[in-house]
Amino acid sequence: MSLIKQLWLTVILILLLAFVGSLAVSVTSTQDYVEQEMQIKNADNANALALSMTQMEKDDVSIELLVAAQFDTGHYRLIELRSPEGDVMQRREAEPLDDGVPDWFVDLVRLDVAPGQAVVQDGWSQYGTLTLASQHDAAYRSLWQSTLKMAAWFALVGAISLLLAWWIVRTIRRPLLEVVSQARSISARRFTTSSEPRTLELREVVQAMNTLSGAVHTMLSEETGKLDQLRRRLQEDATTGASNRTTLLEHLQNNLDSDSQRASGVLIMLRLVDLPEVNERLGRQATDDVLRALVNHLTQLANELGGGEVGRLNGSDFLVIVHGAQDIEHVSESLKHQLTLLCDAVGEPLRLPAALSEYTHGDTPSQRLAALDGALADAEGRGDMALVAVSDEARLPLYTTHEAWRSALIQSMEAGVALARFPVVNARQEVVHFEAPSRLELAGEWRSAGLFMPWVARLQLEDKLDLAVAERALAIIESDQLPLGINLSGRAVSDMAFIKALRQRLEHAPEAARKLWIELPESTALHDLASFRLLCRELQHTGVRIGLEHVGSEFTRLADLHDLGLAFLKFDASLVSGVDQAFDQQTILRGMATLAHSLGILAIAEGVKRPEEAETLFDLGLDAVTGPGVKAS
Amino acid sequence: MVSRRQLISGLGAGLLCLMIGAPSTASAFNPQRIRQKMQQAHGASGVALVDEWLAMIERLRGARLGDQMSEVNDFFNRKVRWRDDIDVWGQEDYWATPLEMLGKREGDCEDYSIAKYITLKELGVPGNKLRMIYVRAQIGRSQRSQAHMVLGYYQTPASEPLLLDNIIPSIRPASERDDLTPVFSFNSSGLWAGGSEESRADPLARLSRWQSVVNRMRDQGFI
Repeated sequence: MSLIKQLWLTVILILLLAFVGSLAVSVTSTQDYVEQEMQIKNADNANALALSMTQMEKDDVSIELLVAAQFDTGHYRLIELRSPEGDVMQRREAEPLDDGVPDWFVDLVRLDVAPGQAVVQDGWSQYGTLTLASQHDAAYRSLWQSTLKMAAWFALVGAISLLLAWWIVRTIRRPLLEVVSQARSISARRFTTSSEPRTLELREVVQAMNTLSGAVHTMLSEETGKLDQLRRRLQEDATTGASNRTTLLEHLQNNLDSDSQRASGVLIMLRLVDLPEVNERLGRQATDDVLRALVNHLTQLANELGGGEVGRLNGSDFLVIVHGAQDIEHVSESLKHQLTLLCDAVGEPLRLPAALSEYTHGDTPSQRLAALDGALADAEGRGDMALVAVSDEARLPLYTTHEAWRSALIQSMEAGVALARFPVVNARQEVVHFEAPSRLELAGEWRSAGLFMPWVARLQLEDKLDLAVAERALAIIESDQLPLGINLSGRAVSDMAFIKALRQRLEHAPEAARKLWIELPESTALHDLASFRLLCRELQHTGVRIGLEHVGSEFTRLADLHDLGLAFLKFDASLVSGVDQAFDQQTILRGMATLAHSLGILAIAEGVKRPEEAETLFDLGLDAVTGPGVKAS
Repeated sequence: MVSRRQLISGLGAGLLCLMIGAPSTASAFNPQRIRQKMQQAHGASGVALVDEWLAMIERLRGARLGDQMSEVNDFFNRKVRWRDDIDVWGQEDYWATPLEMLGKREGDCEDYSIAKYITLKELGVPGNKLRMIYVRAQIGRSQRSQAHMVLGYYQTPASEPLLLDNIIPSIRPASERDDLTPVFSFNSSGLWAGGSEESRADPLARLSRWQSVVNRMRDQGFI
């Protein structure tokens, strides 16, 4: 039974007891009092009347007048005079009063008043016996009315008490529910914190649980920090903090192979000419500062353009990958601006020629880098800050204008989205789920997402596509009973209307929703953490699993995500690639998997190319692997 | 908290039951108690007189009604001296119980009547045949009238009563008592019979002089 019901029952019980008790006391005492008063009145009046009669002439008329006068002017129910033999000599009796008192109440409180009796003397002999009873029906009425008043008063008190009880329970219940949901979260390894309620007992519980959550957060921060140091040493240039050559090229390869908008974009190759001379002129320390400033400005450039990566290819050459289809003119304007800012900040003449090139799905890194190298040599010849764009006349896009792309995309989305299937398998070679990137039929062929995603992003059609993909995935799950994983784009995630629409579809297919895995790139989720939290809160109750992909560079921020109830993490291919040979990578992945497990999160590795890698990964404790080298058995 | 409240209300309800349904202590003629009370109030001489009275009651049980009445009448008329209340009790009108009267060996007219009434009732004479009668008495040949009380015995309600008096010690029919003029009569049936058991603890009932003496008699063990 709920708290409020118990409290209400208690209140009602207590009030009823009090009501019945006080009513009984009040009615009984009034009853006693009225009975005594009536009895005394009956006796006194009978004696007074008998005394009067004894003193006067005993003719019938006088006796009748006396009885009538007494009866008419007083409040009597009965006045009767009987002869010593028992014959009625005079009798006056009143009708019972009808004053609206219910019969059951009269029966209940029935006043037991004996009539008064006195003997009328005629000389020495008895003339007759006088019997007199007062009218006491009015007493029933006043008893009835006082009972009604008392009932009304108790009803009022009852209503107020119930309201009070309701209010008390409400003030207790809200924090109590919060405590319960926090406890549930913790049992599901979501280490949330909640505000401390005012109720002392509950506050202590919440404090204890918050402390626990806080401890988990601290532990996570420390552990992820250690792992990130390792990762940086492995993947980053020690001087500038930019990615090293291997890592960056790995990323480029992954981007080109990917089914997201990263599959196309712009590459910028930039050279600090005469680095040894600069080094000589400024000294090692200042030169390092210049290099760091350069990387900072390039990172800023990438962020301004919607995300990207910066890497140091060798001592003087840098490469920037700007994600997404970009207008190359715009990119070069932004680059010029940043470089000008850099030169102003450094205050030294620097030679910084750069080459720009678009890349799209289907290109290879080596081909792109070769083109950029040529263009950079050209730029170096042209001047200190020359920018040269690689011309790709040979490239033939599917559609030439925005409008053509838009209508083609919308048309094909309406015609139907297809989903590819790439298995994610665990150590027992069982399929955990299939990654299901979208395929659209464009210009008569099914095209992979890498081709059209940049355009979908540019034309802001992500939410439409994501919804179509989700619907399709749910339909497939229902028909084939296969667990599927789909991607959501960052733009859709921050769109409340999209989240609502998705939630509605998930709620309509609760069975299928439990087999749906939704993943977002780590950078997207962390870029707009508030929207991501909202997404998790809105969707998780439907049973859908939400996780992150490409987890690596921002693993330290996992501590901020520990209360979200993530179902899985997919570790970035750059960490996975060649893991069977690299001890450092093994250490990092082992640590990441352990941390993920401590939060009840599934650890999955992306980009596995060879069976040896998969084997090593399972040995390290990862739950599942996926990639080109992974086949469903 | 709940159980404590329930306990209190339970106690309250129990208390209530006690108050409502408190049984009154049954009372009856109790010679032991009369002697004890007499011992306390008037010592050995009082007890001796009471013993005499008690012995008379025992002797008269089952005797003829005429003998009972005359013996009782004689007993009180002989043993008790007639004095006004103001001299005996220091107040204008005081209705004494038989014990109080026997203890003092003095009494007023109503004290005689009460004592005779109680004694005859104890001997089994029906209460409704006995009536206390207020009378106006002419003392001697003088014209002086005095308020007086006698005990009347009515064979039937309509019949002429026999009077037990202390002015003229012998029992006579009312018609032979020219010196007495009846004013009013009463007995216990109008004043105390109905609900007398309950009215013991009732402060209002003590307002009546008759009720007062009844209560004292009950306390002393007469009824």
